[in-house]
Amino acid sequence: MKKNTFYLMAGCIALVLLAVFWYSVEVHNPLFIEIAFVVGIVGAYLARKRVTDLIEDERSAKITEQAVLRTFQVFWVGFCAISIGAVMQILYVPQFPREIFFTRPPEILSPRMMGYFQLGLLCLTIFLYVGFRMYYARKYGEWETDEE
Amino acid sequence: MPANMGNGRPMKNKIKVFRAMYDLTQEDLAQAIGVTRQTILAIEKGKYVPSLELAFRIARYFKVNIEEVFTYDAEARTVDER
Repeated sequence: MKKNTFYLMAGCIALVLLAVFWYSVEVHNPLFIEIAFVVGIVGAYLARKRVTDLIEDERSAKITEQAVLRTFQVFWVGFCAISIGAVMQILYVPQFPREIFFTRPPEILSPRMMGYFQLGLLCLTIFLYVGFRMYYARKYGEWETDEE
Repeated sequence: MPANMGNGRPMKNKIKVFRAMYDLTQEDLAQAIGVTRQTILAIEKGKYVPSLELAFRIARYFKVNIEEVFTYDAEARTVDER
């Protein structure tokens, strides 16, 4: 399989996933998109293995490895901080005896919104990864000009 | 810092010299040892320090010992670590 064919295929998978997502919303059944997502990603991984004109050597593997590592290092801290905050809100119970001036701690994000927010964070991770990838690609001479 | 980061550049190489001796382009060498041309360019410019395996493959290709292609400048490392 050619590289461009794979990119086209990946685009098609993304479109199908989007369609399945809206279908799941319509029928109120998240199982469709959950299964489709896993199948789509596995399909994309398998298709990538069949790409013949994509040379991956140790330097490109190193760039990917470093970018993934840094993305994960940044992501998990932010994701956990937000998630711990959400858990704190869910676990909140009024104190006993009640305070005279009962004040509930401010709700930063409702549990319902937390799902959206976490999904948004996951999407931001893609941009973070692309940023790190560009940084390490530049560091390891991806765009070096040749004097030949 | 791990040795293969290539930042302090204590590793020097003579790939360009050997390429000239064998009249090879970066693309020729890259194809012969199974890497991309960009990797050869990055190694030559000191942006990337190859793994021991790749270093051996390059040296074997030129039929020389690894030390003849790659040299380790301990002083450069010491200066870099300061």
